[in-house]
Amino acid sequence: MEISFLFVVLKVLLGVLILLWIIIGYSLVYRKHRTRHREKIESSFADITSKYLYTLPGEEVNLIEIQRTFRGLGIKRSNPKNVQYLIDLMIRTQRSLMGRNYKQLETLFKQIPPFRASLSKLNSTEWYIKARGIREIYEMGQKQHINALISERNNNNTYVRREAQIAMVVFLGWESLRFLPFLKMEMTLWQQIKVVEKLHDLYPEPDLPLLRKAYESDRFYASELVMRIIRKFRLESEVDYILNFLDHPDHDRREVAIYCIQSFSLINGQQQVFKKKFFRIPNTQQQVNLLKYFHTNSFQIDLEFYKKLLNSGNEILKLSTAEILWDSGYIKIVEEFYYGQYNSETIEENVL
Amino acid sequence: MFKTALIIQEDLILLRILERLMRTHGYSCRSIRTLAELNIEDQERVYDLIISDILFEGIAPLDFVFQIGEIIMHKSLIVVTNMGQEKVRQQISKSRNVAGFFSIPFDLDDIQKLIA
Repeated sequence: MEISFLFVVLKVLLGVLILLWIIIGYSLVYRKHRTRHREKIESSFADITSKYLYTLPGEEVNLIEIQRTFRGLGIKRSNPKNVQYLIDLMIRTQRSLMGRNYKQLETLFKQIPPFRASLSKLNSTEWYIKARGIREIYEMGQKQHINALISERNNNNTYVRREAQIAMVVFLGWESLRFLPFLKMEMTLWQQIKVVEKLHDLYPEPDLPLLRKAYESDRFYASELVMRIIRKFRLESEVDYILNFLDHPDHDRREVAIYCIQSFSLINGQQQVFKKKFFRIPNTQQQVNLLKYFHTNSFQIDLEFYKKLLNSGNEILKLSTAEILWDSGYIKIVEEFYYGQYNSETIEENVL
Repeated sequence: MFKTALIIQEDLILLRILERLMRTHGYSCRSIRTLAELNIEDQERVYDLIISDILFEGIAPLDFVFQIGEIIMHKSLIVVTNMGQEKVRQQISKSRNVAGFFSIPFDLDDIQKLIA
């Protein structure tokens, strides 16, 4: 009885083992086949793009033949894995090139399959598929789908929203500042950085009237975004906008303003505004950072300003001021201040 | 008489595009994706131009470029890579052995100007 029971258990275990082997074997074969197939797709894609970009004399680019090649490689709607792989290859290629060739690739990709694969992703209910579709559309410059993207710019999901906003910037450039600062949802730091980078990469020529329109927005991400744009494009004429936020009641907005102002040097009138605003900043650390910036950025030592600081209330600020004065050779003032802290009576006490 | 070029590039698509670019400019090309594909003949001939990627072969990016320059005889060397951090760019452009440094995204027309 017991022995036959053990046999049954043994058989079941053996069965499980063999099943596992079969699964492993199948997966190995499948992977090998899949990798080989991917390599084939990559290789023919590389051939086609390079031939399209640099056609040798006597050669001809035949679009119908290209379509036939891709179909032969299994790039069909019924095989989404292959389609996705091809799209990834297209994006990778387009991201590595600029200038004339970028435009040429755009034209090529419009004419070969997969047609509308990215657009159909927008209808998906999953956010990651949707975001991926949007990214594919803007990376490949398919401007004809822009209307489908505009409605996603206020999507509830951060990632979908972000991709849609980047798409706006990619397609519309400075025009997109018409509504980016007026969006309903907030814009994260990462989103802002992405937007600024894309704007700088694709539209290096600043459009000041459109930028100034964005000044009207009172949303916090909008002013941060605008300040970052001013910094990235080194718009000397717009420094006053950043200066405005130096003594803003909100800590984070001040932080961004301080970060951005450090890329600029202040002219005379701006220095006056700066000094006035400096005393209104409620955070000591921010004041210390600004003081360092002010010192490295001015040619002359503004003794009056520093003396005023030496006599202000905050100890940490006094220390930084003394440090700056000492390093710039005004040792006497620092010494005078130091001894001035003790009146004559306490000194006498100490000596005695 | 063909001019000769050696292209070392890990990215297959870029490799093919560069190869085509060189061929349209009258070069005969040898293109490889890894250093393992180099053979003894490559060390015996003098290439007019080497276009090299920065590959991770266990040494620092800068050393890699210099080693390529030392192993293979050549007249001019261009670096095309997708590892183009600012630090690497600065270091490489300091050296006089490298004629050009391109990191993605780059404009192929700029390379064309260099080889024309």
